[in-house]
Amino acid sequence: MPYGTVNADVITTSTAGGVLGAGNASIMKNRIINGAMVISQRSGTSSVSPTDGQFSVDRWKCRTDITGKYTFQQNAGSVTPPVGFSNYLGITSSTAYTVPSGGYYFLVQPIEGFNTADLGWGTANAKTVTLSFQVYSSLTGTFGGSLMNAANNRSYPFTYTISTANTWTTASVTIAGDTTGTWVGATNGSGIEVNFGLGMGSTLSGTAGAWAGASYYSATGAVSVVGTNGATFYITGVQLEVGSSATGFEYRQYTQELVLCQRYFWRKSGVASAVVTVGSGMAYNTTDIRCTLPNPVIMRTTPTIAFTGSNFEYEKAASARGTLSSIDSAYRSPEASMLYSGASTTATTAGQGAIWYITDSASYISISAEL
Amino acid sequence: MIYKLSRIDGVILIKENERVCIPFDPANTDYQAYLKWVAEGNTPLPAENT
Repeated sequence: MPYGTVNADVITTSTAGGVLGAGNASIMKNRIINGAMVISQRSGTSSVSPTDGQFSVDRWKCRTDITGKYTFQQNAGSVTPPVGFSNYLGITSSTAYTVPSGGYYFLVQPIEGFNTADLGWGTANAKTVTLSFQVYSSLTGTFGGSLMNAANNRSYPFTYTISTANTWTTASVTIAGDTTGTWVGATNGSGIEVNFGLGMGSTLSGTAGAWAGASYYSATGAVSVVGTNGATFYITGVQLEVGSSATGFEYRQYTQELVLCQRYFWRKSGVASAVVTVGSGMAYNTTDIRCTLPNPVIMRTTPTIAFTGSNFEYEKAASARGTLSSIDSAYRSPEASMLYSGASTTATTAGQGAIWYITDSASYISISAEL
Repeated sequence: MIYKLSRIDGVILIKENERVCIPFDPANTDYQAYLKWVAEGNTPLPAENT
């Protein structure tokens, strides 16, 4: 055909046999953000033993019934990533733990409803999706995971097989969309939650390959990573797309991926032995110095702002710096926030201009609107 | 876990070496956790006077 045409789910190009999306074309087909595990704003490449709900690399949340059963780390173990990838999320078991019936250990990415509403789940027009990924483990056998709704009362457990230990394996699962149940539509709520089991209790595991009106985070009988001390589970290249077969992974430019992540989280970090500007503002009164903090992208919702460390300072004139304390934020929105101090160490005059700084790498500001 | 009311709006979760400022936004998951904490019978500390 002479020019590009659209036929069903396939966009054909003017080049003979050229089909966008069949290779690695980037057309935002992947509903997963940071599927290549490139962005790691919170922990960098450090190894962390997470608390329940703590995020690892961006958008990937760790669920752990009891803290201390596993660690996460970007590129843990420093194995060679699969071809085409530079990063992976590594899980390492810290114990040989037998998960009780109600215990749970898994990774999850909640996908925002705005990015899943077109799938029509919960209606007769529910679309089929395919989940694909690259996985590597010191264990072999049948592993499990699930897709789930926000209310945790609709779930589809799935399995995949790792036949050879310590070798990257490509896995894909095709799932017919759920025609019943309540699924979040085009809102900023959680549309679909993608779970990868690391060890799941029997009451939270279900029969693979079918929708259930239950909270199944993994499949019955799946391998338990936390069941073997030192066991590893590495994953990357996660993609969830419309259709009944997996296509090439959608690579994104670094900035694209970072901006997608920053809708949910970003950090203003300090630097060792250096001064980093937070924002400009003014003295509200003699002790309260205020400044603005615009977000780099419109966030999912009004964010939480966390101040870690104590090296926050302001400058009002040459050689006139003071320490900020009892810091808080107010007048927040998905676009920007106002930061203010409850006290400062150098007297100021109301209306005087000022700039906020971070003066040490151990201090930083985390802005979160995660699901 | 200690929550304290903010001087202007929201609540602050006081942690070791960290102040987590949470807005009164029903879609914010930290606020949802705070509401659950209140529903369990807890009460936040009053706002700072500084």
